[in-house]
Amino acid sequence: MIKLYNVSKTYAKATFKAVDDLTLEINSGEIFGFLGPNGAGKSTTIKMITGILTPDSGTVEIDGINLADNPIAAKTLIGFVPDNHETYETLKGIEYLAFIGTMYGVPSATVKERVDEYAAMFDLTDALPNMISSYSHGMKQKLSVIAALIHDPKVWVLDEPLTGLDPQSAFQLKQLMRRQADKGNTVFFSSHVIDVVEKVCDRIGIINHGKLVAVDTLDNIRESGKVSLESMFLTITAEDKRQ
Amino acid sequence: MKKYLALVKLLFVQQYKSRIAFNRQGAGKKRFGTVMLYVVLAVCFLPVIISIAVAMYHMGKLSGGNRYIGTFLTLMCQGLVLMFGVHAIMSNVFVVKDADKLLYLPLRAYTIFFAKLTVAYLNEFITTTLAILTVLLPFGIGAQAGASFYLMLPVALVLIPLLPMLIGSLIAMPLSALVTAFGKNSAIKTLLRILIYVAIMALYMYLMYGFGFLTGSENGNILDNPEVYIKDILEELTVKLEKIMPYFHQDYMLVTAMLCSGIGDWALGFFAAVTENLALLGLVFVVSLPFYRRMLAMSVEEGSRRRRGGKERFRIRNRGVVYEFMRTDFNKTVRDAQMGFQSFAGIIMMPIIVVIMYFMLGVADEGEASLLQVVRISELYQAIAPLIILVYMSFIGVGTNVLGLYPISRENKSVYILKSLPVSFNKVLLSKVLLATAVMSASDLVTCLLIVVLFGVRWYFGIAMFAVMLLVGFGAMCVTTLLDLKSPRFGWDNFNHGLKNARNSWIAMLISFLSGAALIFISVPCIVLYAIFGGWYILLVMWLLDLAFGCAFSAVAYRVMVVKAAVYFDRIEI
Repeated sequence: MIKLYNVSKTYAKATFKAVDDLTLEINSGEIFGFLGPNGAGKSTTIKMITGILTPDSGTVEIDGINLADNPIAAKTLIGFVPDNHETYETLKGIEYLAFIGTMYGVPSATVKERVDEYAAMFDLTDALPNMISSYSHGMKQKLSVIAALIHDPKVWVLDEPLTGLDPQSAFQLKQLMRRQADKGNTVFFSSHVIDVVEKVCDRIGIINHGKLVAVDTLDNIRESGKVSLESMFLTITAEDKRQ
Repeated sequence: MKKYLALVKLLFVQQYKSRIAFNRQGAGKKRFGTVMLYVVLAVCFLPVIISIAVAMYHMGKLSGGNRYIGTFLTLMCQGLVLMFGVHAIMSNVFVVKDADKLLYLPLRAYTIFFAKLTVAYLNEFITTTLAILTVLLPFGIGAQAGASFYLMLPVALVLIPLLPMLIGSLIAMPLSALVTAFGKNSAIKTLLRILIYVAIMALYMYLMYGFGFLTGSENGNILDNPEVYIKDILEELTVKLEKIMPYFHQDYMLVTAMLCSGIGDWALGFFAAVTENLALLGLVFVVSLPFYRRMLAMSVEEGSRRRRGGKERFRIRNRGVVYEFMRTDFNKTVRDAQMGFQSFAGIIMMPIIVVIMYFMLGVADEGEASLLQVVRISELYQAIAPLIILVYMSFIGVGTNVLGLYPISRENKSVYILKSLPVSFNKVLLSKVLLATAVMSASDLVTCLLIVVLFGVRWYFGIAMFAVMLLVGFGAMCVTTLLDLKSPRFGWDNFNHGLKNARNSWIAMLISFLSGAALIFISVPCIVLYAIFGGWYILLVMWLLDLAFGCAFSAVAYRVMVVKAAVYFDRIEI
């Protein structure tokens, strides 16, 4: 569903590659966890998958559609939850969701139906008529999650989605991720929280200094080394640092 | 003191530090372009500045360095500082948005307040310097002032902004309280701010008018004998100023020191001016600090209060991508107090200027004809006046339409939303240009109506003017949108800071200046033919040519924007 071929990116003001020759394939019906230390290139990779950043080289494909050749068709398939929760602060929550619905061409009735469902799930119904600027960090996160699901995307990309969520909402979000994968959709998410990745993901990738240093299923990891994901993560990133 | 200075430095530097994130390809070429732009702008605006300076020089010469006139000019400078600064004082000092960033620091409330006030004061320096260079300096040269005048100019630069600070604080406090009282209704807040801004402008003009500065002389009009005319006005003004001078004693003392006749005179003026201005500063502090404390407390409480939900109905309707973009953009702009004020206050400028122009040109003493009446008698009035007004109004209108000048920068960190949406970027751009044009068209319409009613321009020329203004405005908005996309400013916390030192409005004025020049170039041959042969059809051809130019300009500008936009949009890295 998501394919990255030899993707590289160097920021305008930087002297090093934020992402270096990354090749990765994520299948339908899979929850893929993307791990890495701070500044490893997780968010840059996510921004390239969602079309926010253009890679310097390499290609990104979403469900067989080349993002560079047909960005609109590819973006229509993606739902994105950013890590910074920057939205249109002076809009009301409901206005923002209606706006996103229109952008993805979702019929009004369907938008209403989905907003009602997800807002109830995340206990946000009462806050929707209020201005986003009055929302707490967690409420903004919930709003971003709902906005990303408004068009029932085939690919759901989440950047640090659990930060700031209360335990109940975090549980609901994990359930939703599983539900999406069970429907045959793809969930790609980055996180620092190894425990969550271990519990939720089918497969993981570890990125460090812009390079993909490990990709495997959790079962394989468990069988091969009989070590925890945490110790494996620490070993791999430490080795990479030494090199 | 260390904490205070560090905070001033932080707040001052922060407002100039908008992160610009895009690939800087051809940076050297861009720098050269910027330098050339400022050269062209200087050439364009120099005549206006020189005209004011020359007028002030003659005023100094004719008044012989009269201290009351000098004080009046100092007040004029302070009026300008106040007009441009009152909103900044309100938004930077009293509308507290950064309480959560500052309150946990080991700082006293008065340190924060004083640091903010200092930053607002430092920001007034630019306006004060410009005002001193164009008004006070030529006045002093004309009056053949001594060395003390020039030595006191830096002191004047430091002291002049203090009175506007006091008055600005006094205006800003009840206004901020009122704005805060409206709670969630940001649109009303924005409207309120704009109305207050208009009121201050109108008050400023009224006072200038009331002082006799714009009234006529009893000894003929300015065209017959300008020297006598101006002398009469200055004498009249001096009489009026003598009565009100006790209220602006600190300014009178400052001017006394500047135009002193001896060391004793200078010492008296200098020490009195410094002491009285320091007293003003103390007054600002004493009056405003309790209010600031209250606003600080309210801002902290407000966040948690507003988080609780309310019941409100909202209909979700899908009305097309461009429409939805425009609606969302309008809502988020009007609800942001600073952005809304900046974006919509500019568009009321045109109607206000038309009214002011009418009062300046159309008022005369009993039994005398006003300048407007004299001009209207001419057979060429209907041919020339609409064109001149059109060019001037386009110039002002485009340059002050902030909505069209910073369409991308106002997205700030949320620009990633535009990049991640499955929508053609051309639609985004079109919606931005259409919104700016739609808002400007309201102002254009009122302006044209006023011109028809007040200036007696025929209604069908009024319609033609409106159509050309609309087309030229659309084209100019396309260019400014592209320019903003090329060099956007992201990462600002305060929209006013996002605009600091931005060149977009200057470029916009330059574009409308050039398009105005083109319109004049096209129209002059028709006016000459009309003057020789007469005949309504010549004016019809002239307006058709102007409309054709407007269509061509807007079409080319839109095309250029669409072709180049994708590259610039891709460069944005956020």
